[in-house]
Amino acid sequence: MAAPGGGGAYSFSLTTFSPSGKLVQIEHALAAVAGGTTSLGIKATNGIVLATEKKASSLLLDTSVLEKVAPICPNIGFVYSGMGPDFRILVAKARKIAQAYWKVYGEYPPTKVLVQEVAGVMQKATQSGGVRPYGISLLIAGWDSHRGQSLYQVDPSGSYWAWKASAIGKNMVNGKTFLEKRYNDDLSLEDAIHTALLTLKEGFEGEMTENTIEIGIVTVPTAEQLQEKPGERLPPTFRKLTESEVKDYLSL
Amino acid sequence: MPVEGPSIGFDFSNYARNQFLGERMNGLPRATSTGTTIVGLKFGGGDTGEEEGICLGADTRATGGPIVADKNCEKIHYLAPHMRCCGAGTAADTEFVTNLISSNLELHAYSQGRPARVVTAMTMLKQYLFRYQGQVGAYLVLGGVDSTGAHLFTIHAHGSTDKLPYVTMGSGSMAAMAVFESSFKQHMTRKDAIDLVARAIRSGIFNDLGSGSNVDVSVITKNGTEMMRNYETPNERGIKSRNYKFRRGTTAWTKESIRSLIVSEEVKMTTGAGKTQDGVLDVPVPIGKGPGGEEGMDVDA
Amino acid sequence: MEYNGGSVVAMIGKDCVAIASDLRLGQQSVGVAMNFEKVFPVNDKLYYGLPGLATDVYTLREQLRFRVNMYRMKEEREITPKTFTHLLSSTLYEKRFGPYFLEPVVAGLTTPTELEPKPKPFISTMDTIGCITTPKDFAVAGTAQDKLYGMAEGLWEPDLEPEDLFETISQTLLNAVDRDALSGWGAIVHVITHDKVITRQLRSRMD
Repeated sequence: MAAPGGGGAYSFSLTTFSPSGKLVQIEHALAAVAGGTTSLGIKATNGIVLATEKKASSLLLDTSVLEKVAPICPNIGFVYSGMGPDFRILVAKARKIAQAYWKVYGEYPPTKVLVQEVAGVMQKATQSGGVRPYGISLLIAGWDSHRGQSLYQVDPSGSYWAWKASAIGKNMVNGKTFLEKRYNDDLSLEDAIHTALLTLKEGFEGEMTENTIEIGIVTVPTAEQLQEKPGERLPPTFRKLTESEVKDYLSL
Repeated sequence: MPVEGPSIGFDFSNYARNQFLGERMNGLPRATSTGTTIVGLKFGGGDTGEEEGICLGADTRATGGPIVADKNCEKIHYLAPHMRCCGAGTAADTEFVTNLISSNLELHAYSQGRPARVVTAMTMLKQYLFRYQGQVGAYLVLGGVDSTGAHLFTIHAHGSTDKLPYVTMGSGSMAAMAVFESSFKQHMTRKDAIDLVARAIRSGIFNDLGSGSNVDVSVITKNGTEMMRNYETPNERGIKSRNYKFRRGTTAWTKESIRSLIVSEEVKMTTGAGKTQDGVLDVPVPIGKGPGGEEGMDVDA
Repeated sequence: MEYNGGSVVAMIGKDCVAIASDLRLGQQSVGVAMNFEKVFPVNDKLYYGLPGLATDVYTLREQLRFRVNMYRMKEEREITPKTFTHLLSSTLYEKRFGPYFLEPVVAGLTTPTELEPKPKPFISTMDTIGCITTPKDFAVAGTAQDKLYGMAEGLWEPDLEPEDLFETISQTLLNAVDRDALSGWGAIVHVITHDKVITRQLRSRMD
């Protein structure tokens, strides 16, 4: 297949193996991720929390417009560390993938299927001509009837893993160590949200307020919520917390 | 192609063959159509203090030629939380066109960070239908409430639209419009609006052959959407006085095969099942640094 | 539709479903084969029937086999009756302006899940371009559609046990098909229950 953009003689892949078998471009992309603001996700018994730091480089920036946690379809949400513009491209692609799935099967994709599709998009950028890898890592949280709530991480290389809890970005090493200490298998969503805030607080520069963090949650629906009513859709299982909700959690 | 399945757009590959078959046989098969009564009206607003809203109504009969294909189908389609759309014409077209636009409205809402407006839905529908020059046979009544108020439109298969306070469509539109023309009033209460819509649909059900069975009603205000499926059921089937249950063994059969879905298994120990086999060496596979490791890829992932 | 003839009927029973078809393949009024099955399995508890143009029966069956196998591998699960219906419907609508001459009928039981522990019977049917109807009682299609409607309206009743459902669907099909010149020449019935699928070839008129 011709490379996107049709660069002709210059459409060779920028990601080429070094003699030692490394793909240096991907390592550089991971460096871009490691320089990005911290994001984390924790899976609980009755849901998942995604949280991220929203750092403004200047006091004058209007951060209310910035969106780092993005809903993809009613049951799945993303958060990222790394390059914002790359994230927005992937979000737009993922939303289209989710809608294409819905039009064929009459239901939204299970988390794993969407993760695989998005990972495929990211992998393509490591092997196609004239493009660079995406400079982001993603945390993808979702609920589906087949596997329940699940949390995934996707890296610039296109590799993906399922996690109980994970952190990406600047503070990922400390964050993960912190999460390893705090995590247990019967964490409730409420506990998970508090753990997420505590983890984020580690190494947080400046003041943590409802304006400087973003939170998204997956909730496990009850059997009653899954009952289909004529002419209506099932209630969403992923949603972002409003600023006032975040404020309430912070004050606890 | 992101998802395996139908690609974008229609596939005309069978068209020539079907034309040929149609000439040799007695005509092409008929698609299910909704010979229909669908209506909508605007209520409330003005100085009444009654909140402004849209009331939509539909019958529930789907036909395939002279046969009733579905006695209780749904013709009020979901577009968005605050928007519904009644469909008449070719049933598959109304179903798929509303699904497509509903999907695009959801994407629109995500990217704009606000609910889509009713005019947006109307424009998307009319542009799509115009592109197919009436070949996509969807005749729609679109109603909804957004930040700019309550709106009601009709959209024809060729792409023309109307914006009116009360509308009817489908084969029963004349019967329903007769009711509206005689009884519609501006700024009705919610209850009066529902009653009038139900009466208009009933008029279609009983006077138009293409319409029948039950009355579906949907009310949309800025406080939410209420879907009243089978709001009235004026054509309930009678209870059979006797049953026609056959004595077991009535039907003669020549061959039977039963596929049991219960898996029974028994475990026998042999070499290899968990035991080390002779001549096989366990060689550990080299593993990278794990997630996000050296190349950002696991050697074995 | 009338070129090859043939009919399919599906019915809901108590915790079970049945789907049946005739076995005739014709070329207009000439009978060609009496072993032309029109009902195919998707998985253990899901079957579908494709009455209509025989060439399209093969094309669509293979197309669906491909898509269902891809689904099974990608999603690591079996497709549910409802999801399969949507897949079939969108496959048909893709050919909106050059349709397959088929009116599919789907019948299956849902696989029990944690949230839905009881297997539920499900049937659906579509027109040639994929407009779905999901009846609560029975679904009919094919050249004997009109007659099947009449028979089924009279004979069907709720909560039939598998063996009673077999009798009802068999009598519905046999008697409808006897009044249709283009259907008949044998019949086959599948009754799907939670633990087994009973398939029987019926004895019928051969004229």
